[in-house]
Amino acid sequence: MLSLDVEALLKELLYDPQNPLLFNNGFFVFFFAIFMALYYSFRNSFNIRRYIFCFFSLYFFYKASGYFVILVIISAVVDFVLSNAIHRQKHKGTKTFLLVLSIVFNLGLLFYFKYTNFFISVSNDFFQAGFNPLNILLPVGISFYTFENLSYTIDVYRGQFKPARKFTDYLLFLSFFPKLVMGPIVRAHEFVPQINKPYNITNHDFSKGFYLIISGLFKKLIISDYLTLNYVNYIFDDPSRYTGLENLFAVYAYAVVIYCDFSGYSDVAIGIAKWLGFNIPPNFLSPYQSKNITEFWRRWHISLSSWLKDYLYIPIGGNRKFTAVTFVFALLFFSGVFFSAVHFFNVNYAMASLITLIVVLIFVLPSLLMDNNKGVWANLNLLTTMLLGGFWHGASWNFIIWGALHGFSLAVHKIWMLLTGKAFSSFNNKWWYNALAVLITFHFVCFCWIFFKAESLEAATAMINQILFDFDLSVWKAFFDNYWPVLDMIFIAALLHVIPDSYADSVLKRFKKVPLVAYMVIFFAFVILYGAFKSSEPVMPIYLQF
Amino acid sequence: MKPIKRVFIFVTICFLVYLAGSVIAQITGYDIPPFNRVNLISDIVGSSDSAAIAEGKKGNTSSGETVPATAGRKFEMYMKAGAINNFSADTQSVALIGFSQKLADLKAGKRKKVRIAFLGDSMIEGDLMSQTLRQLLQAAFGGSGVGFVPITSPVAGFRQTATATFSKNWTDDNFKNNQSGKLYLSGHSFSNSDGWVQIRDNTITTPGTNIEKSLLCGYTAAPVTVNYNSAPFTVNANQPVNRIVLGNDAGTSAKLGVTNKELPVYGISFESETGIFVDNFSFRGISGVEYGKIAPDFMQQIQEANPYDLIIFQYGVNVLFQPNNKNFDWYAKSLLPVVEKFRKVFTDADFLMVSTADRAFRYNGVYQSAVGIDSLIKTQAEIAFQTQSGFYNQFETMGGKNSIVDWANRKPSLANKDYVHPNHNGAPVLAEYLYKALIKDYEKLNIEKKPLP
Repeated sequence: MLSLDVEALLKELLYDPQNPLLFNNGFFVFFFAIFMALYYSFRNSFNIRRYIFCFFSLYFFYKASGYFVILVIISAVVDFVLSNAIHRQKHKGTKTFLLVLSIVFNLGLLFYFKYTNFFISVSNDFFQAGFNPLNILLPVGISFYTFENLSYTIDVYRGQFKPARKFTDYLLFLSFFPKLVMGPIVRAHEFVPQINKPYNITNHDFSKGFYLIISGLFKKLIISDYLTLNYVNYIFDDPSRYTGLENLFAVYAYAVVIYCDFSGYSDVAIGIAKWLGFNIPPNFLSPYQSKNITEFWRRWHISLSSWLKDYLYIPIGGNRKFTAVTFVFALLFFSGVFFSAVHFFNVNYAMASLITLIVVLIFVLPSLLMDNNKGVWANLNLLTTMLLGGFWHGASWNFIIWGALHGFSLAVHKIWMLLTGKAFSSFNNKWWYNALAVLITFHFVCFCWIFFKAESLEAATAMINQILFDFDLSVWKAFFDNYWPVLDMIFIAALLHVIPDSYADSVLKRFKKVPLVAYMVIFFAFVILYGAFKSSEPVMPIYLQF
Repeated sequence: MKPIKRVFIFVTICFLVYLAGSVIAQITGYDIPPFNRVNLISDIVGSSDSAAIAEGKKGNTSSGETVPATAGRKFEMYMKAGAINNFSADTQSVALIGFSQKLADLKAGKRKKVRIAFLGDSMIEGDLMSQTLRQLLQAAFGGSGVGFVPITSPVAGFRQTATATFSKNWTDDNFKNNQSGKLYLSGHSFSNSDGWVQIRDNTITTPGTNIEKSLLCGYTAAPVTVNYNSAPFTVNANQPVNRIVLGNDAGTSAKLGVTNKELPVYGISFESETGIFVDNFSFRGISGVEYGKIAPDFMQQIQEANPYDLIIFQYGVNVLFQPNNKNFDWYAKSLLPVVEKFRKVFTDADFLMVSTADRAFRYNGVYQSAVGIDSLIKTQAEIAFQTQSGFYNQFETMGGKNSIVDWANRKPSLANKDYVHPNHNGAPVLAEYLYKALIKDYEKLNIEKKPLP
């Protein structure tokens, strides 16, 4: 017979570091059902509704990361006070001072938690400083809400937005639980006005929200988790044990994993928000369909790229001018190129200088040829943005290399357009040209993912080495026999990826009158499928060579 | 119905149905996969998951045979962590008596060389473990040189202690395809009608030391001319197994060109004139029973040409390939004659059975030690017991149950996320444990010799 374990029940209500709250916990089902009942009951009293929302958001955050919830509250208080002060302040100098204060506070928090150990290890490597690394845990979501805070105070400073009058408006903007852990990064001027509006959605919102939630969960919990546990993790962990073929597929699989994980989470967040009457713009638009790297960045993690454009690229000069920041980062990048040539490719100084010169030319030449200095600044500002954007993803050299590769490729793409724009105009819109462009862009992005995912630079180079020099198609049969479930999963992900968003929308519109029961059947089918994958036999690594 | 009401009704009904289903499943005991994995209340009503895991935890020893008690010998000794034992009830007796005595002789200058063959699977690939053991032993007992290096290897690029580059066209006769029974302890025999290999020993720390570079090869009816460091060299391979010194100088690298397919080539060995040497013989994916393929008289010849004083025999993770298997009787049956053969052929060498290290599988979403691991270790210990070999419980030494999970999750990690292989941080730890156990055993020699008070 069933006996309720009260102690276990109470423990469930507390934060468990081994089992932080995510959308896939059983706990979330209870959480969301209770929240929904309260939210719906109090939908017409905006204040109570907002308090309920804030409470549940903070509680969600507590269940996801423990006492770090206090950090969200503190930063909400500080930024709320500062933004209102900035808004009221007439004196330009004081206004700027308050803004700087807010930037220092927010970036300071981010730096302390995210980058302290990185800079300790850098000082140890370069100056033999001998500092001990500190035991700092990274608070969940800090990278996201810090950026939201910054965009908010900067918008207020620029006069683009009146600060929230009520503290809970601001707190809810910051802690809104669907997007708290992994984004999207929401902008205050889009979000805050939606808080105190009557709760109302359309039929399309309902079906679109459902579609986003279920497809997002499918991408994250089934595709991404399955590939991570059954393939990607152990190959990336020790690439030199595996053949080139296994390594190559690990890169493809990781491209699937990172996309499904990230976009899946965003989709669930956007879907839940839609159901609750909030519109959050899409964060991913089938990025691997991009025909070039510039397009990729318009389709990948859109909320981050647009944030970086508005609050980093434009302030450091954009496509208009050159600032000290540009100068410092360009200098760092070009010296980085020089030293990597010397240390990683073992070329002599003359050769390294030549390589660096070529890289400099790639950034500078097109604009000089076109007699437009500003193009040079745009290129270098873009590079700086990509370097810092890479660093935002994580505190290690690999992320900086990842950013540098993307920054460099954006410049290369500009040259390519300049060189081939006219010459190729007779066929650069043909399907085969586009297909080739998609294929090349995808592979370049995959190449960069190696640095993004690998534990260290050595692991990344080992992986590239295996793919280039230990590639043997004769192991294909053994490979296929062992890994066919993994390959199937990659194939399903690829199929999902080629469905255009517009197609999903038009299908959803046609099924306007689907009875609620049908939705429930789909939901429970998904739950059972999820259970099946959780209890599936693991795929074990094999050795294709002995 | 208004859309917001649809949201509310949908969420509420789904929740109630889901909850009711979970409660019913718990009450009726209809709690089977995949439903038990998504049961909403299993965590708060005495979960079926944890019961399944607990059951997995206690599962061990299926091998029902009881090991006969022999006078003065205690089988239970195999559980002991951090020590080599020969199951002697007297814990002060030396387990590897012959080997320890040879170490003492080497130390006293009464002996020139002590040689160890370290046999293992992917756990020691790329000279993992053996490189640390070699380094520690050479620091304590002298000697310089990486020992045996095979002609080609899939992990040549990964091995730090020796750099091997080779032509792509070597024919590799090995455990997986050999019929003749004539393979070296590496499990390989190479041949080539026009090929080359260049091997550099990266372990030599004191430049100027004379390093003997020897070719280990099989039989040819007539002398064969090879190319050694760009000069012709005549090889008289008239024995079934030959150890032919190619050069004895301060050079640390050897380039060998072979143009006669008749010459079976095993590898090149780098050893100083005196000291202790550890030969790494790794072969991916095997369980050790493959040594049954080497013909006994051929094995005898190996020992005569290149004598070994200790055989370290470390396998097991490849036997644990099914997550739920607890019965290893088949392994015991096929491994016992192999170990008996080793004992018979290598009469002058001690034999050390090293147990499997920890290996984990995912049980209900949680990584845990393989449920059959205790049973496998017991099987390995039984073979050591029956063949009068030494035994070393690597599993208990590294921390016992779930230690590989702990190792893989540490930062920096000590093991790979396949929950099988200790990595370049973890392998030295394992090697150091083994070294300490060997030394502890060796030091008992002095205690034995001390006159009674």
